[in-house]
Amino acid sequence: MSITVLGVNHRTAPLEVRERFAHTAGEVPQSLERVLAAGARGGVLLSTCNRTEFYLAEPDDAVPEAVWALLSERLGVGPSASQYGYIQRDRDAVRHLYRVSAGLDSMILGEPQIQGQVREAWDVSKAVAGPVLHRLFQSALLVGARVRSETGLATGTASAPSAAVAVAAKIFTQLAGRSALILGAGDIAELAATCLVSEGVRVTLVANRTYERAKAIAEELGARALTLDEAWDHFGDCDIVLCSTAAPHAVVTWDRVAATVRRRGGRPLCILDLAVPRDVEPAVAQLENVFLYDLDDLQAVAAHAAAERRNDIPAAERIVTEEVERFWGWYGGLAVVPVLREFRDRMEAVRAAELERTLRRLPHLSPEDRGQIEYFSQALLNKFLHQPTVALKEAARAGRGYGLLDALKRLFGLERRDGT
Amino acid sequence: MVLTSHLVALGLYALATVLVLAPFTGLRPAPRGLLVGVLIAGIAAHALGVARLTPFMGVAPTLSLLALFLALLQLASEVAFRASAVGVFTGPLATGLIGLALLIGLAPDAGPVVGRSPWSILHITVSILGLAMLALAFIAAALYLLQFRELKAKRFGQVFRLFPPLERLDQLNHLSLVVGFPTVTLGVLLGFGVRYAGGVSVDAAQVVWGMLMWLVLGWAVGVRVVRHWAGRRAAFASIASFAAVLLVYLALKLTTPGTQRFL
Repeated sequence: MSITVLGVNHRTAPLEVRERFAHTAGEVPQSLERVLAAGARGGVLLSTCNRTEFYLAEPDDAVPEAVWALLSERLGVGPSASQYGYIQRDRDAVRHLYRVSAGLDSMILGEPQIQGQVREAWDVSKAVAGPVLHRLFQSALLVGARVRSETGLATGTASAPSAAVAVAAKIFTQLAGRSALILGAGDIAELAATCLVSEGVRVTLVANRTYERAKAIAEELGARALTLDEAWDHFGDCDIVLCSTAAPHAVVTWDRVAATVRRRGGRPLCILDLAVPRDVEPAVAQLENVFLYDLDDLQAVAAHAAAERRNDIPAAERIVTEEVERFWGWYGGLAVVPVLREFRDRMEAVRAAELERTLRRLPHLSPEDRGQIEYFSQALLNKFLHQPTVALKEAARAGRGYGLLDALKRLFGLERRDGT
Repeated sequence: MVLTSHLVALGLYALATVLVLAPFTGLRPAPRGLLVGVLIAGIAAHALGVARLTPFMGVAPTLSLLALFLALLQLASEVAFRASAVGVFTGPLATGLIGLALLIGLAPDAGPVVGRSPWSILHITVSILGLAMLALAFIAAALYLLQFRELKAKRFGQVFRLFPPLERLDQLNHLSLVVGFPTVTLGVLLGFGVRYAGGVSVDAAQVVWGMLMWLVLGWAVGVRVVRHWAGRRAAFASIASFAAVLLVYLALKLTTPGTQRFL
């Protein structure tokens, strides 16, 4: 019995490679089926933008090759996927998943999305996961939740889009119901807009240099489309402005918005400039009640939070270690039961065969004497088996059963019969 | 009993202050329930002691009453506005006021006191409550200006993390003013009633300056409610008016010391 993880992540492969390995939910069953066909008793595929990992229960020797071949096909001609990959087995594999679920292995330390991704991977692979991986993923989610509740690893905001939300939340009492204007159609603005919308912010207006592009995004967000020139008047109405145009110079200038912003009275206006080069003239920040933040500022917020999170790594690692031992204890116990049963059956068969041979050579014995000899052989076998059984069970409870199990299998030839 | 309950309250307020200040030193914030629990326990112990201090003769009992109201307002700010940072000011203030009251001496006078009718006690209680609310408005305004400065300067340190959002501080300032000013007004009216119906002698300078201060506070409320000032301007107005009240009080205290005033 063993648990193995094979895969690539943001530490071992560049983005352009990880992009190719990434699986959609629809692709997962087919890939898992191929890998399991190479010889494994269960599998879960965790695929995000930062990692693609196969978690496998009791994989045969041919399985790693099957995984690398499958991933290499996605790379096309060129290097094998194995050069970007890693393999971890047993306790290390369990530890790896627990660290992933807790956000300890994420590009942004402690980021919360990974837990949802682990849950989703488990859901998609449930049919072929098998009992061991089922238990492993269930416990990984609990470990993630425990780390998040008992340490500060998930506090603060560790990415620029989530920092945008954090900054806006320090200006407004609540974000729900606030109105936002999006200038431009950059990816990061769209991501930040998604973060704001998830907090209840209403994107009411989308403005872009080309009206058609603005209209396409506005329709997605249920907003009204504008051209850039129409947008300046709306700096007086909305609470948050998200800028991400591709303009080579500042488009939000003092001259364009100062008069409108002054009409706001005491109401604050949060401008999040996520464009590079910047969309907003720095002088706009001088306007009363205007709070302007560019990408550098938001990254500073994120870096601050990430630095604070690092202090919580030792506590999070302690929880992971504790939970790995707990899982390993359960898993060890799971492995001991069938081997012990097999061991006892094998010894019982030997005893019965030897007893029969002996009794055949002693036909003169009375039925009482034969009974005594049978009783003696049974008692002797029980005495012999007692200590190994107790030792194995205790070792399994302590999570150290594997060494003994392996020895038992080799010494008594059990591996030939159970096929492992 | 009075001394014991005040000592217990002093300890619990000091603990609440430590809980509020600890995150500013980099320590992990205490659970909110713990802070609320400590405050409630402190307020309960304190209220038992204050109840035995009527008719609030002298400065010490009044300081204790002011500390009680400040702690109550801190609790209300925490529960209704999630504004733990208010405790940065109210915590040390309430703790210091109790400490000062204990130092001055808290034993209420045994004999009957002229001018300490139930109306007079009500006048003192309402006035002190109004004063505490104006102090809360001042604190919210100060916190607002600090957070405003950090947000404008793009500093993302402890103030940014631990202070409430700007708008919430503005709302707290607004609410404290619009509730505090009528409360102070009621206190003033009760004071007039006590003065004329009870025949208690009050220094003319105190009446004139008191009215002037009432007008200054009225202006601070007026610009918020009538002229819809908000944000930084309203915070400055709130701070200026409260500072004026404190300065006039200190001036009166130094120039015309008397025993009839409750503060």
